[in-house]
Amino acid sequence: MVASLKAGDKGKIIDISHVGNLVQRRLLDLGITEGSEVCVKCVMPFGGPIMIESCGQCVGIRRREAVQIEVERI
Amino acid sequence: MEIALIGNPNTGKTSLFNNLTGSYAYVGNWSGVTVEKKVGVFKNNIGHLIDLPGVYTLNPLSKDEGVVTSFFLNESVDRLLNILDASQLERNLHLTLQLLEFEKPALIGLNMIDVANKRGIHIDSSKLSEILGVPVVPVVARSGKGCDKLVDVIATKSMQPTKKNLVYYGKEVEEAVTTLTGELKGKTSHSARFLAIQYFEGNEYVKNYVNSIADTQKLNAIKANLELKLQKQYDSKSLANFIYLKRKEVIENIVAEVARKSNSIIPLSEKIDSIVTNRYLGMPIFLLLMYLMFMLTFDWLGTPLSDTLDALLTGPVTNGFETVLNAIHASAFIHALIIEGLIAGVGGVLVFVPQIFILFFFISLLEDSGYMARVALVMDRIMESVGLNGKAFIPMMIGFGCNVPGIMAARTIETPRERLLTILLTPLMSCSARLPVYALFVGAFFAGNKAFIVLSLYVLGIVVALILAKIFSTTILKSETSLFVIELPPYRLPQFQSLWRSTWDKGKGFVRKAGTFIFAGSVFIWLLSYAGPGGLNVDMDHSFLAKIGNVIAPIFAPIGFGTWQATASLITGFLAKEAIISTMNIIYFVPNDASLQGLLANYYTPLSAYSFMVFILLYIPCLATVATIYKETNSKKWTAFSMIYAFAIAYILSLIIYQGGKLFGWV
Repeated sequence: MVASLKAGDKGKIIDISHVGNLVQRRLLDLGITEGSEVCVKCVMPFGGPIMIESCGQCVGIRRREAVQIEVERI
Repeated sequence: MEIALIGNPNTGKTSLFNNLTGSYAYVGNWSGVTVEKKVGVFKNNIGHLIDLPGVYTLNPLSKDEGVVTSFFLNESVDRLLNILDASQLERNLHLTLQLLEFEKPALIGLNMIDVANKRGIHIDSSKLSEILGVPVVPVVARSGKGCDKLVDVIATKSMQPTKKNLVYYGKEVEEAVTTLTGELKGKTSHSARFLAIQYFEGNEYVKNYVNSIADTQKLNAIKANLELKLQKQYDSKSLANFIYLKRKEVIENIVAEVARKSNSIIPLSEKIDSIVTNRYLGMPIFLLLMYLMFMLTFDWLGTPLSDTLDALLTGPVTNGFETVLNAIHASAFIHALIIEGLIAGVGGVLVFVPQIFILFFFISLLEDSGYMARVALVMDRIMESVGLNGKAFIPMMIGFGCNVPGIMAARTIETPRERLLTILLTPLMSCSARLPVYALFVGAFFAGNKAFIVLSLYVLGIVVALILAKIFSTTILKSETSLFVIELPPYRLPQFQSLWRSTWDKGKGFVRKAGTFIFAGSVFIWLLSYAGPGGLNVDMDHSFLAKIGNVIAPIFAPIGFGTWQATASLITGFLAKEAIISTMNIIYFVPNDASLQGLLANYYTPLSAYSFMVFILLYIPCLATVATIYKETNSKKWTAFSMIYAFAIAYILSLIIYQGGKLFGWV
């Protein structure tokens, strides 16, 4: 899952279907879906949001969702 | 000619709008800053340009995005101007393909070609134009490069798309589209294919529209049938996803043909981000920036400027008016009206213009540079813990300038519950109109640590808002759904001209209010204080104003300011918070040179002054804010609630501070 990646790690999304509908739709709008490569930019302290980069854009998501996105490390 | 400007958020839409239309709207970096519909006149008068909120797709998630879809369905437009971010072509083309299905004349402004080139992406715009069948003009919206060409193309070329059905959605979908189109035939002036595809995608706005013109059950059946087929044949997750993937396929082919990639340079944004959104440094940096902002506004820069202006108004300006009035032998009534009413009332507010402009300048700077979205990210953890969302922090920050645009900015929050909560709490942010009151009182009672006392009030507003958010979200506004996905746009070096214009745009409202509302209010208040049951020119203590104030004043005695003067100023403060100052200037007017600050010491102690400031901070939002709350929530219940809870909280806190302070022996 994305939440297990550390800052600087890269991964490829393999399953995003467990994420809530709204968040899934919004990530899709941003071009982030199954098959997208993501790179974790930074992780906020105290269980805060995670900043990921995908296709040249930075997006902030909550840890709750980051836990539900399955990735394979690349 | 009506031209609609449409594109993804953060593609430079607003910059392009400003460049094309001589008139200025607003430039910001925060996703979806364009919350209002704005119309501008083209520089060469070829027509009107309508600025639409930034959207990723025509299938909306939030109310803000719904504006675009209902615009498409309900209003007529001659041409669509689609702005694309060249560095994010894949994502941007999803919207473009939907727009082209709408089958209206369209053209494309390919923006940020400079950014794309730096990232090593080179786009062949003529090839893109050939594939899409509409004109494509490369532009750099921030500098205005290419905008003249764009205007030429809009004015001259015919832009009816030359290609239809760019995306082939597969046999099953296309068949269903044909069936559905048959149902809609002759019943609408919109492209039936567009309506059918949007309907299949689950677009609520389109669904309501087609259901109103065609047989709901038949339409439902067509969609259900199609979904079943796709599931059987392709094991597709959903119809919407199927359509998305088909579009994506087409886009990948287009991009492969038009874009060429070379070596890229690491953008500066990432280097800055590694510091300002750093795990540990993020929050301290934000607080430090806020501290600097306050010190500049109140101590280092703002106060000297305000003092200079004050000296000018009480000295030369008042003397000038005196001379003129004496020269024309004005009656005592007119003389008193102008000197004691108008100059005292309006001038007392104008003195704070420099500080308000400095504050607005910093808010614009935070927005334009792209830092605001980072603040939302940094603050999300705290906001989430009280049942809000990091994005709620932006309306609140804007609320520091003025609550009205703050409340309007809450439209970018996707979930209705979090949005309502943000609307209810934004008035607790200390807006710039409250600033003059603090400035006056800290000057009189806390001269040693002005910035600290004012900062404490701002922080108090935030803390109260957070505590109430927690209380409301666990009681009256309970719900599980929350959505937080935020795009962090690259940092942009703010341009001085656009900064100045957006500062002026926000600040001029304050000056205008001083010229109209405060002007009229000052005359009215002065008349009430000049006249009484005993006739004109009565002693102030026997005026109508004193009579009204005295009736209500006992309520405020327990919190330290049970005088009719304070009460009267609080009543006018409901009209506009800065009217409190005008009222006080009129009420406490003394002809000799004693300043209002010196006089206040006779009526307040430092403790009651602080209690008064806390009360001003929290009590009923001003009239304009209340009207906006009603407009945004469309609910009398919530509007009334926002006034009542604010008054209750203000009273309780002031009571605790005043009575508690007395117990500790402070005065």
